[in-house]
Amino acid sequence: MFDDLDPKEFEETAAAVVDACASADDAKARGALLGEAGLIGVTAPEDAGGLGLPLDFAVPVLSAAGAGLLGFPLIEAVLLAKALAPVDADLAGRIASGETLATVAWQGRAEDGLVAAAPLGQEADHVLILRADGSAVLAQTGNAVTARAVPALDVDAPESAFDISGDLTGPVLDAASVATLQREAQVLRTAFVAGSSDRCLTLAADYAQDRSQFGKILAANQVIRHRLSRDKLAVSTMRNGLKRALKADVEDADLAIEATWLGTARAGISVAESAIQVFGGMGFTWEVPLHRHLRQMRAQSAYGAVAQATEGLGDRLIAARTNEWYGEIEHVV
Amino acid sequence: MTHVDPKTEGATPAAGSYAAKTRAWIQANLTDELRTDRCLDPGATLQQKIDFEAAQHIGGLTGIMWPKDYGGHGLTVREHLEANREIGLSPMPNAVNSIGKELAGPIIMAVGREDQKRDLLPKILKMEHIWCQGFSEPGAGSDLAGLRTRAEKTADGWKVNGQKIWTSGASKSQRCLLLARSGKPEDRHKGLMLFAVPMDSPGIDVREITSIDGARSFCEVFFNDVIVDDANMLGSPDEGWAAATRVLSIERATNRMYRSWRFQSEIDHLVMGCQSDNRTYKILRGYRRELAQCRIDVELLKGHVEALVDDLLDGKEIGPRGSFPKLFWSEAHQRFAQMAYEIVSRFPADSNQALRDLKARMEHIYLTGRAETIYAGTTEIQLDIIAKRILKLKKAA
Repeated sequence: MFDDLDPKEFEETAAAVVDACASADDAKARGALLGEAGLIGVTAPEDAGGLGLPLDFAVPVLSAAGAGLLGFPLIEAVLLAKALAPVDADLAGRIASGETLATVAWQGRAEDGLVAAAPLGQEADHVLILRADGSAVLAQTGNAVTARAVPALDVDAPESAFDISGDLTGPVLDAASVATLQREAQVLRTAFVAGSSDRCLTLAADYAQDRSQFGKILAANQVIRHRLSRDKLAVSTMRNGLKRALKADVEDADLAIEATWLGTARAGISVAESAIQVFGGMGFTWEVPLHRHLRQMRAQSAYGAVAQATEGLGDRLIAARTNEWYGEIEHVV
Repeated sequence: MTHVDPKTEGATPAAGSYAAKTRAWIQANLTDELRTDRCLDPGATLQQKIDFEAAQHIGGLTGIMWPKDYGGHGLTVREHLEANREIGLSPMPNAVNSIGKELAGPIIMAVGREDQKRDLLPKILKMEHIWCQGFSEPGAGSDLAGLRTRAEKTADGWKVNGQKIWTSGASKSQRCLLLARSGKPEDRHKGLMLFAVPMDSPGIDVREITSIDGARSFCEVFFNDVIVDDANMLGSPDEGWAAATRVLSIERATNRMYRSWRFQSEIDHLVMGCQSDNRTYKILRGYRRELAQCRIDVELLKGHVEALVDDLLDGKEIGPRGSFPKLFWSEAHQRFAQMAYEIVSRFPADSNQALRDLKARMEHIYLTGRAETIYAGTTEIQLDIIAKRILKLKKAA
């Protein structure tokens, strides 16, 4: 079915739409542009208004969003358009078309009465709220679920919290669907951060070849060249890791996806910080967009619970016995 | 105390696959003396290691992609990858003849005459010829274009004079892949020639250098009026540099393809060793974040390796992208080695035998790991390659 399609073909389309979104009035208008181009429903089934393509087709889309500082919760919308389709195809279709703006509150549980880390929650029509049993409800905002402004690092898609004051109503995703959604979120976040850090590197490399100090361009200095080379290695590591993690025959796909996300989250932030350093004083200004990249990557790192997940991976590792060559070693713990 | 199933749960290769065949061979042939996770004294002799490597060829673990006409198995990079996964996961010793198999062999295949290929290549795989690499010189380490060893045309062939250094394994080698200059030093990359020099040629003097781990594998090799036959010239007189760099770019991608799994196996050993004593397990728990980062690096390294394998299968040029896995692996592995050394240095004095073996292995990995960012193109050279050939950064406005 997809033999004649290549995920790379989505790159140009996605980049052009994200560019157009930069001059749109608000998130709703951006949603309409993204929806019209089929980018929100890229992985959603066709009978719910999507394109029904595999997850790797969403990679160039989210990569373009990261590069273009898209002020829209595209990761959340792409995930929800797909996950909701079997439960409420009509609502999934409206999310895919951009008519309905939906987001996810990545932190907190419904039982706490407060959930948080919902990008563009203030403008959202619906928010997915996680529950302690692993399931989640896609609740309509307003009334029982009210958005609250919170200090937000990401200025392009600022996060909100939600107060929950009554019974949650709305389509329910079961625990298995939520687990799949969380797993696919790691893929989309990786693509987003890869795009964002790639843009930071391009900006820094261009600047280093344009700006002269002490009679020579910055890029003439080995220390700058090597810094940029390390950043290039970091970006290539993200892309190659993601490509491998999405292969059908990858050994332990869950580990490959998680490790790629955790490695990318850390490296992306480092690439943005490095680019700011290359720009010097200009890098510290509001005008140069590097801080926006840094902010959005920091936000994704928090939504993806990188610190906790890294510790969790460490816990699993130290308890595991995964290599039969060392199976004879006594096991007492 | 954490409850875990003591049964090992590593992925088992599919029955009948090349990986399964490789694993079965290693299980049947890897003796305790040869295992790098055992510290037997005495350990395996050089001859035992040579015999083991020759047996690997018969077992289908080496020469996998080499043509059958030259002693290889005529298979693809896919089988090579499968076998290397199993080699990496096991505690097999490093190859004695890696220069022969990963450098000299591919260069001979690329530029050698047909009679050279038929003569020299099978001997590499059968371990009749161990090779060393005569590239670096005291004045030409990373900058090979500055090398000074001269090859002068005479009636008898070529007369070679000069000095090589950091020549790993020269004292046990039968052949040297020699890079020498037939033109003037100012010609830089031009006029560099490649030779297959018999190491028993008159005028060759080998002196071992003790490296930081106490081993005596490194050597200086002096060439004093050494006569090399025309028959041992590899490629045309001007082809040496071009052939070497072309082959090196591919080799940087495919050689030691087992490295990501060996890295993973070392993490496994560290973890499973520490599980043998509650005190060392407690130490390990304090490093859970660093350990997770190491395992993340392993997965990311596999991404680099597989990207290059895909490109090779698609017939694409690897070029400077071979620098990515080398640079990523060498630095990530050094970080692991530093962490592992710190962990094992905290082991109690009355540690059990498994912990003593683990400690010895990790100390060895830490020390030898210092070379990983130096050999096969230093970190700085890899960064230069990426800046110049991938990012294409200008040096002037």
